[in-house]
Amino acid sequence: MSDRRLLLFNLLRGLAAILLALLVAAIFIFISSDEPLTALKYLLVGPVVSFKATGNVFNTTSFLTVLAGMIPTIFSGLAVCVMFSANQFNLGGEGAIMLGGFVGALLGIYLKMNTGLHQVVCVLAGAIAGGLIMLIPAILKVKLGASEMVTSLMMNYVVMFVILHFLNFVFADRSKGATQTFPFLETAKIPEIVANGTKLTWGFVVALIFVVIIALFMYRTKWGYAIRMIGINQSFAQYSGMQVGTVIILSQVIGGMLSGMGGSIEVLGRFNSFLWRELPGYGWLGITIAILAKNNPIFVPFAAFFIAYLNKGCDLMATYSDVPSEMIDIIQAAIFLFFAAEQFLAKYRQRIVVRNAQRDLALQEAAASQGGSN
Amino acid sequence: MIGDLLLSIFNADFLYSVIRITAPILFAALGAVIAEKAGVVNIGLEGIMMISALFGVLFGYWTQSWFIGVLGAVVIGVLLALLIGFFAFEMKTDIILGGIAVNMLGAGGTIFLLYMFTGMKGNTGSLVTRELLIPTLDIPLIKSIPYLGQVLSGHAVLTYLAFLLVWLIWVVIYKTPLGLNIRAVGENPNAATSIGVSVQKIQYIAIAFSGALAGLGGAFMSMYYSQGWNSGMVAGRGFIALAATAMGRGEPVGTMLSSLLFGLAQALRTKVSGMQGVSSYLVSVIPYLVTIIGLVLYAISIKNKLKKRHAVAKGAE
Repeated sequence: MSDRRLLLFNLLRGLAAILLALLVAAIFIFISSDEPLTALKYLLVGPVVSFKATGNVFNTTSFLTVLAGMIPTIFSGLAVCVMFSANQFNLGGEGAIMLGGFVGALLGIYLKMNTGLHQVVCVLAGAIAGGLIMLIPAILKVKLGASEMVTSLMMNYVVMFVILHFLNFVFADRSKGATQTFPFLETAKIPEIVANGTKLTWGFVVALIFVVIIALFMYRTKWGYAIRMIGINQSFAQYSGMQVGTVIILSQVIGGMLSGMGGSIEVLGRFNSFLWRELPGYGWLGITIAILAKNNPIFVPFAAFFIAYLNKGCDLMATYSDVPSEMIDIIQAAIFLFFAAEQFLAKYRQRIVVRNAQRDLALQEAAASQGGSN
Repeated sequence: MIGDLLLSIFNADFLYSVIRITAPILFAALGAVIAEKAGVVNIGLEGIMMISALFGVLFGYWTQSWFIGVLGAVVIGVLLALLIGFFAFEMKTDIILGGIAVNMLGAGGTIFLLYMFTGMKGNTGSLVTRELLIPTLDIPLIKSIPYLGQVLSGHAVLTYLAFLLVWLIWVVIYKTPLGLNIRAVGENPNAATSIGVSVQKIQYIAIAFSGALAGLGGAFMSMYYSQGWNSGMVAGRGFIALAATAMGRGEPVGTMLSSLLFGLAQALRTKVSGMQGVSSYLVSVIPYLVTIIGLVLYAISIKNKLKKRHAVAKGAE
């Protein structure tokens, strides 16, 4: 009973944080826009409603593109969940995603295989590339104590420029105006679940499967337990005999593999050739999602949906009104601050805890006095 | 090719550009030094630089004074740092997440704010005129020394300030009561509390300092270095500054030296990418790679020192 009330409180608290963030957004929109109501309308309901003269109807296509937008961020969100659970502030998701996408793309162009197997090989290769690159900050942290945050941030830039070098000078398709690779073989492309142009590919299903796998891994295996224990109290984990170094490396390699996998699935599902010319930004979105999900893999799809919805809303708002789509960053920053704030509404939490404790005490006393009278 | 490169490295113009490129990194890195001394991690430096850079240009344009522009950038830097501090200290948001939030504001929020205030998208274009740039200064005597004068004289006022601040911050940290409190709070908050020092107050002061310094770095970027604000301007300098501080062992002078190393790497990148047959992308990797290598070397040296200390302790037994 008391647990349920706390859970409800946590849920309401999260909602309050999100509403507050949206309120901040609304204030900015009202200050900056000549048509604030139009802008708000597209931001809040645009992703699922099409506005017609005859009335507003549910827009299935648009809704499906929102779901498609979740594919890379579910992976990057899961990656951050695993890494942050071990209390490792590894910010290298960006680089791992781009690298995974690039490696997957190259195999999709130059490897000849049967479809079905081809996609699996490309995505696995992307995952391995992402895992390998994360080994660097992980090992530097464990063996030398170098801050994984700083090294992983620097790695992102290194990865990006090295990829750009190969993209421009080795693998470029010179027949195209823009810098991009040759097109992927048809056998490597990840098909849509229903061919309707929404880019909702089978990658979405794979992403949901991985939500379950990672949730089981984190809460049902000894490795997952070790990762969470190290995150809560590293000294305790060490004294109780856990292989702290190995587990920390493991957590980051898993994070890298998930990121790389997300990158390759996104690239092979959404595009015809590799054309990212900068870091894609999914790594940072993954951090927002992990925070919204409180590092719990099961909540990741919901958080990813919320972010994908907001993203789409901001895009629509930028298209149909005068508010720039970068609004999303302001909303995200506000969510970050309030959602992650332990003290936000803590007074009420305190009150619930006190009330529960008093009631438990009263029950105990009642039980005790009953026992006495018998 | 290597010969050409060596020649151009000892060229006075090249060394001048090293100093110029180092200045913004040094500002932010010194900010990280003060924060770290008080036990505060401010990874929002990157975002603070971006936002301050924008407001430096805007304030300068509104008042038609570069000086007020710079002041405005500093004030905004302090406010943002206090925002991180408020959420970290009062609301118990993890300070790293608070920093990332400010970095997000710096990345996309600036584009939004620019549009909100001016209707422009992506860059400030013509807002920055020649008169609104931070002025340069010729140093009287040194100017006339050949070579040395070319390297050291004629820099922006803020460049000199950056290097002056290395000394000033050393003085503040090691020679003033405030500095003593900052170090006490950073090294042992409980001990500091027991002698009546308010840990929170000192941490607020330290993070505000770091915001002011990052603000100066931002103003330098937009009001001198790239002569206007654009969305890709800071390009990881706030993060590089964190690395420089880590490599400089959190000490002002060490941090200055590692900042100069990054300045050198970045200047080298500009130099080499102009050469024939060199991939500008691979050259762009240099500053970031140098950062990682620097961090690794520093980490190894710390590890060896600890080992030696253990060995000495064992020998004494």
